[in-house]
Amino acid sequence: MAGLELLSDQGYRVDGRRAGELRKIQARMGVFAQADGSAYIEQGNTKALAVVYGPHEIRGSRARALPDRALVNCQYSSATFSTGERKRRPHGDRKSCEMGLQLRQTFEAAILTQLHPRSQIDIYVQVLQADGGTYAACVNAATLAVLDAGIPMRDFVCACSAGFVDGTALADLSHVEEAAGGPQLALALLPASGQIALLEMDARLHEDHLERVLEAAAQAARDVHTLLDRVVRQHRAELRGGHRLVLGAGFPAADPAHLHVGERHGLHHGGGAVCGRRPCPGFCPGLRRPPQEVGGSASGLA
Amino acid sequence: MLQKREKVLLLRTFQGRTLRIVREHYLRPCVPCHSPLCPQPAACSHDGKLLSSDVTHYVIPDWKVVQDYLEILEFPELKGIIFMQTACQAVQHQRGRRQYNKLRNLLKDARHDCILFANEFQQCCYLPRERGESMEKWQTRSIYNAAVWYYHHCQDRMPIVMVTEDEEAIQQYGSETEGVFVITFKNYLDNFWPDLKAAHELCDSILQSRRERENESQESHGKEYPEHLPLEVLEAGIKSGRYIQGILNVNKHRAQIEAFVRLQGASSKDSDLVSDILIHGMKARNRSIHGDVVVVELLPKNEWKGRTVALCENDCDDKASGESPSEPMPTGRVVGILQKNWRDYVVTFPSKEEVQSQGKNAQKILVTPWDYRIPKIRISTQQAETLQDFRVVVRIDSWESTSVYPNGHFVRVLGRIGDLEGEIATILVENSISVIPFSEAQMCEMPVNTPESPWKVSPEEEQKRKDLRKSHLVFSIDPKGCEDVDDTLSVRTLNNGNLELGVHIADVTHFVAPNSYIDIEARTRATTYYLADRRYDMLPSVLSADLCSLLGGVDRYAVSIMWELDKASYEIKKVWYGRTIIRSAYKLFYEAAQELLDGNLSVVDDIPEFKDLDEKSRQAKLEELVWAIGKLTDIARHVRAKRDGCGALELEGVEVCVQLDDKKNIHDLIPKQPLEVHETVAECMILANHWVAKKIWESFPHQALLRQHPPPHQEFFSELRECAKAKGFFIDTRSNKTLADSLDNANDPHDPIVNRLLRSMATQAMSNALYFSTGSCAEEEFHHYGLALDKYTHFTSPIRRYSDIVVHRLLMAAISKDKKMEIKGNLFSNKDLEELCRHINNRNQLCFLQAAQHSQKQSTELFQCMYFKDKDPATEERCISDGVIYSIRTNGVLLFIPRFGIKGAAYLKNKDGLVISCGPDSCSEWKPGSLQRFQNKITSTTTDGESVTFHLFDHVTVRISIQASRCHSDTIRLEIISNKPYKIPNTELIHQSSPLLKSELVKEVTKSVEEAQLAQEVKVNIIQEEYQEYRQTKGRSLYTLLEEIRDLALLDVSNNYGI
Repeated sequence: MAGLELLSDQGYRVDGRRAGELRKIQARMGVFAQADGSAYIEQGNTKALAVVYGPHEIRGSRARALPDRALVNCQYSSATFSTGERKRRPHGDRKSCEMGLQLRQTFEAAILTQLHPRSQIDIYVQVLQADGGTYAACVNAATLAVLDAGIPMRDFVCACSAGFVDGTALADLSHVEEAAGGPQLALALLPASGQIALLEMDARLHEDHLERVLEAAAQAARDVHTLLDRVVRQHRAELRGGHRLVLGAGFPAADPAHLHVGERHGLHHGGGAVCGRRPCPGFCPGLRRPPQEVGGSASGLA
Repeated sequence: MLQKREKVLLLRTFQGRTLRIVREHYLRPCVPCHSPLCPQPAACSHDGKLLSSDVTHYVIPDWKVVQDYLEILEFPELKGIIFMQTACQAVQHQRGRRQYNKLRNLLKDARHDCILFANEFQQCCYLPRERGESMEKWQTRSIYNAAVWYYHHCQDRMPIVMVTEDEEAIQQYGSETEGVFVITFKNYLDNFWPDLKAAHELCDSILQSRRERENESQESHGKEYPEHLPLEVLEAGIKSGRYIQGILNVNKHRAQIEAFVRLQGASSKDSDLVSDILIHGMKARNRSIHGDVVVVELLPKNEWKGRTVALCENDCDDKASGESPSEPMPTGRVVGILQKNWRDYVVTFPSKEEVQSQGKNAQKILVTPWDYRIPKIRISTQQAETLQDFRVVVRIDSWESTSVYPNGHFVRVLGRIGDLEGEIATILVENSISVIPFSEAQMCEMPVNTPESPWKVSPEEEQKRKDLRKSHLVFSIDPKGCEDVDDTLSVRTLNNGNLELGVHIADVTHFVAPNSYIDIEARTRATTYYLADRRYDMLPSVLSADLCSLLGGVDRYAVSIMWELDKASYEIKKVWYGRTIIRSAYKLFYEAAQELLDGNLSVVDDIPEFKDLDEKSRQAKLEELVWAIGKLTDIARHVRAKRDGCGALELEGVEVCVQLDDKKNIHDLIPKQPLEVHETVAECMILANHWVAKKIWESFPHQALLRQHPPPHQEFFSELRECAKAKGFFIDTRSNKTLADSLDNANDPHDPIVNRLLRSMATQAMSNALYFSTGSCAEEEFHHYGLALDKYTHFTSPIRRYSDIVVHRLLMAAISKDKKMEIKGNLFSNKDLEELCRHINNRNQLCFLQAAQHSQKQSTELFQCMYFKDKDPATEERCISDGVIYSIRTNGVLLFIPRFGIKGAAYLKNKDGLVISCGPDSCSEWKPGSLQRFQNKITSTTTDGESVTFHLFDHVTVRISIQASRCHSDTIRLEIISNKPYKIPNTELIHQSSPLLKSELVKEVTKSVEEAQLAQEVKVNIIQEEYQEYRQTKGRSLYTLLEEIRDLALLDVSNNYGI
């Protein structure tokens, strides 16, 4: 029946959440010893695994090397059993290529790539179960993995999706809500500065509503940030407890002071900013687009 | 923010086909319980309505009860109802959208004491469905569990009754928890509501009809109708163009045979069909009922049929099939129904003799709906005999493919057949108008204005508002005796020589807060209803007739628009909108204002405000007033001329409608002569509406309420063009301008009726004006065709129309937006506004088109019938009148009788197949012969060679008589008795305008009624007879009733054009 009520008159969604509430998030860092960094995340029933190698020398053709920064290489794949129907998903199909590109854009904006010129950072993400918001889960998992690998970043990248039903913006859509066909917007945010690393939407949504949906997604991303931050701190506490070799006192991700250096020195405000150890050029090369600009697939806006 | 995520995650699996879907289900500790007994109101965070605290128990219906007995739960007497989410979902999934929406509206309605408890999201109430447990069992278990939790949540202070139809559940849970009782619904009604007779009757009839249905499905006769196709097939078919979607319209005069499907918007665009689709016969109609949204499949071309052009009476069977129908038109059959539009129907039970003839099964009775277009309904009841003489409301339950007629159940009794109260109630129900008096809670919100504590302007408001009491001469022009004055006018010269025109509208929104009880009530009513002998106000009379009414000589709040106009060219230079305080100086009536305008100052004595003044100040004030009226008229002429330039239409009835819209009382709707003052006032109101429309649209481009009047379909004008051609006129219908011009030209100097008829035909071809939300329409569709304005709304009658209240709020919000102030209260979003517009349009159609057209027309007819009923048509002089032919059919003509404003059909061929013929003395008689129909004339030729021809617009003499009917309302019957115009001894009567004659008719009736009353007093023994004859109710003077009906009878019946 077409009348599945996505938002009831009492303000409940199909699964019992209210409009702005996230699904339950559980995450773990350092799930593979072999990789430089790894993380596993569950957002509701969406489960994703991210693995990071690098920074290391360019593999393959040396011509790809960038003289001033590191190359970020992202690969996305999803398991055959990730959806209700089993379906073979060949490597390198359109959908996963696109997702890989989006991840790459996101992380080029967040990782301080200029610290590692002529090198490469590999991020591999696999979705084990897809129940809506796969992009968001991938970004969040990859963030944790990058942090686990100790690669310096401007900030966490936190992603969340948002939809729009009956004049209300819904945060963190589940598969049922996505399948209903309404507009869906994916947002990756650098929460401390409020800068947008990626904004993607390929449905029609009236311009007037965009602001509200965007705000809902941003709020959800900030909520995700609080959670991820907690996961990172817990992970560090475990490390201190001696489960694993401690990487050193300056383990960047776990040190909030370091994380926020950029912000304190006005890195994102364009001035001659200081970032970590080295002065950084005024315009962050990783941030391809100016902040708050609605670009990408937003051409579908009504 | 964080604690929100501390919820237990449970997985619920649905096993459908082979696919296994896992859905999350989040539970929370606090779900609003909406009970005043809640121990932690802060945690439960109630918003919206609470259950009332004066109930003795809460009742929780089981899912099955909600599905089957929702109608009973809708009774306002039943209080403290808690609908569990589980039950609501069962309704949603198993009963479809219609019933679910009914439930939703019930929950939203603040007047019903019922709430929804989201038990499935409550931590302690949620029970996962166990392996192998049936859905039904699980639902009952969940609801019981939630009921127990609710009981404990309210700290065991309020007993809870769970009503269920499941015997096992009663066994199992009946005595499990103290304080939570589980009983059957019947039992519940018997024990708790023994006095609520209506509910019991309804319950019985629902039970019985359900039992019948079960029996029937077991028997399963041969199929009467083909099955409907499944929804997916229909939707796919519509998309591919194989099927067509539309609204079914049953032909009132041939309800058994003909129905048309009017195409809906999109589907008509891509298919090349221009006309409606004919559905011929009940079989092809396949169980759809008038008003349903149906899906139609076109038949192959060789099966297409033409519409019958012969006149026919409802009760006659389709035997006259020898008639040649018109050329074939697209014909189809219904393959599915998308949306059923069943409502309450008024029916009449068959009389005793008919029951016996129906035979064996005395419990199943076919009842005849009052509306011809509805098929007979099968009712199972034991009370058939007692209900014989009553008008009864029934509802349709189902229509199986095995059954010829739909099954229904009896709901309530309206009143005796022929009794005035009953007949009025019938008209109300048939027009879906239900009005109950204002409740106490609503009246509590009203300000007080009694002699002891008079209402005063508050000092805060005085500061906020612009004070016009001293600076402006404000006055109102209304019909005589008008109580609620919506609008006042002012005009003055400014210091720079420019003029300032002001329109001041009653500030209703000051008294009616958004979402207050009174606001909700007004929204439901949407408009003030005018009926034959009563009026249902949208707002209580303390507002409508007192505090909001801009009466003379008292301080009132107003919302004003003031324009600064250039002194010479009257160009608008500036405009100001805002809240004001005014004191109307004069409450003029139209006639007096017109006299003043014409320079006849003798009417001064009729104006009360001038009475107590001495000669000198009186002279000065009078001059001031006369100047103001003169200036206003001047300005109005100017504005009107500009609008005319753009093609504003003046149609038959337009004047009437403007009056109806902007003035409250129908009393002077059709004035004896149209005065220029009417036009002046109307023009000022149109100007105000137009400017407000512009303002709110600029401020809220996506959520402003405007009014559009779409241009008419050209094909509807064909009849008009044909008719005009017969008289040698050419009507150019390409645009509103050309139409207006050619209508002006189409004037026969010898026969003023011709122009009137042409204008009324043009009116009928128009589409209806509608309210809409600007967010849901493209800007070029905003146009108002009739008024030739790009934007238009309704602003000037907030006392009578809810749309105006919404517009007032929008205007206030727009003003605060301009001042960068915060907008108070929430405005409607586009979606809500759209829904509201639909509701108001719907109501308006009932009020202005149907109530003004139907219920008012119906009461007019009632009146006409009463007039002719006691006259013997054969002898009575007054039953013979002059008629004009305005349309020709194969076996008769349609006539308009200007003297009484009646439109009707006259047959040229009677039931025995005899045709009319007119002898040399032009008196008609019936003779064997044949009829021949041409484009503009019809010729009747008898076997002995005589022939008579009737042309379009010919004048004939008709005899009027009444055809009584038991199940329906009485109808008027016309008979042509001569093909020559009727010679009235007093020849000047012909040339008088008909409204005058109508009022004359009213006078005659009232006179005769007075005589009758006199007779009543003299002859006690005939009282009974008179009582029946005049349907007079006790305790009410028929004279006053007729006085009021008179007002309504003056409405032109041809007018269905609401601006």
